[in-house]
Amino acid sequence: MSKVVQRGAVTPSMNITPLIDVVFLLIIFFMLVNNLVSDETVEMILPDITDPRTRELGEVDRVVVNVAPEPFTREGRASFPLSHRGEAAYVKVGTGTASRYEADDLEGITEALRREREASPEVEVLLRADGALYYDVVQPILGAVTAAGIGTVNLVAYMPEDG
Amino acid sequence: MSHTKHESDDATVHHRSARERRRRQRGPAAVGELNLTSMIDVIFQLLIYFVVTASFMIDEGVLTAMLPQGPGSPAPPDELPQQTIVIELTSSRDDPAVVGIAWDPRQTTADFAQLAAQLDLERHDPEKGRFGGTYAPDNPIEIQPDGEVRWQHVVDAFNAAIAAEYTNVRFAPAAAGS
Repeated sequence: MSKVVQRGAVTPSMNITPLIDVVFLLIIFFMLVNNLVSDETVEMILPDITDPRTRELGEVDRVVVNVAPEPFTREGRASFPLSHRGEAAYVKVGTGTASRYEADDLEGITEALRREREASPEVEVLLRADGALYYDVVQPILGAVTAAGIGTVNLVAYMPEDG
Repeated sequence: MSHTKHESDDATVHHRSARERRRRQRGPAAVGELNLTSMIDVIFQLLIYFVVTASFMIDEGVLTAMLPQGPGSPAPPDELPQQTIVIELTSSRDDPAVVGIAWDPRQTTADFAQLAAQLDLERHDPEKGRFGGTYAPDNPIEIQPDGEVRWQHVVDAFNAAIAAEYTNVRFAPAAAGS
């Protein structure tokens, strides 16, 4: 058998090792980003407002204050998002395991925000609160933000559909 | 092409032996190759899953609100005093969908779209060709919800004031709020 024939019988194959390298990096990137984002946000139904004028905050230092509602199911609130007892389960300031506070631990929340402000004075506070919570519940937390010497707070709501 | 049974058997045997001979020629030096196709399939599935589920909070936006900061400094005497527009929200625990909106100080409105429209009508903004109104765009607006109003309505009222292009919107101090 001639050499030419032998070569022709060999199946051609691409070297896909770099491809796999890149794809693995992408997977790891998206997994990490997913975890970071979900660490910053708590499951809730945000206020769904008429004719929203919300805007994107852009690239600034931010600390997210989550006022988590008592546990609920999305199905139970699908037709009427306000069908909830309206009480908060806990408050989460920023990220990490030590960032959970009782909803009535206002001093703890203020202290946490004061630390964030010392770390970066221009920090923007984002307040994510469930739309069904009573103002009674959210108002003391606004007070706690004020007590930390922060003058503005960014209320998080859904963006308009068309961006 | 048609073969008799004998011929085709013969061909098979010949074929097999040729292949075996080739394999023997290559010997142990042949590099074994993993079949990576299925792994790549799975990895791409994972990649697409994470790309699709990474939402980056794209559908969330913010409304910037000012917080009450104590009594504040008195207005300079050479400026006309501004009357704060107070938006009062009331609700009951029984029916969270119903919210009463009163402002300035006796007008009531049915919903937040109407509130935005009324506030917009009351705005005096010569730069944008609005002369009929009473309040400057930087006239303070104070949102004063009842303790039993749901947060959604509070943000809605806030949004209405922003939609009517007022720039100085804030929450009422705690003592007055509840």
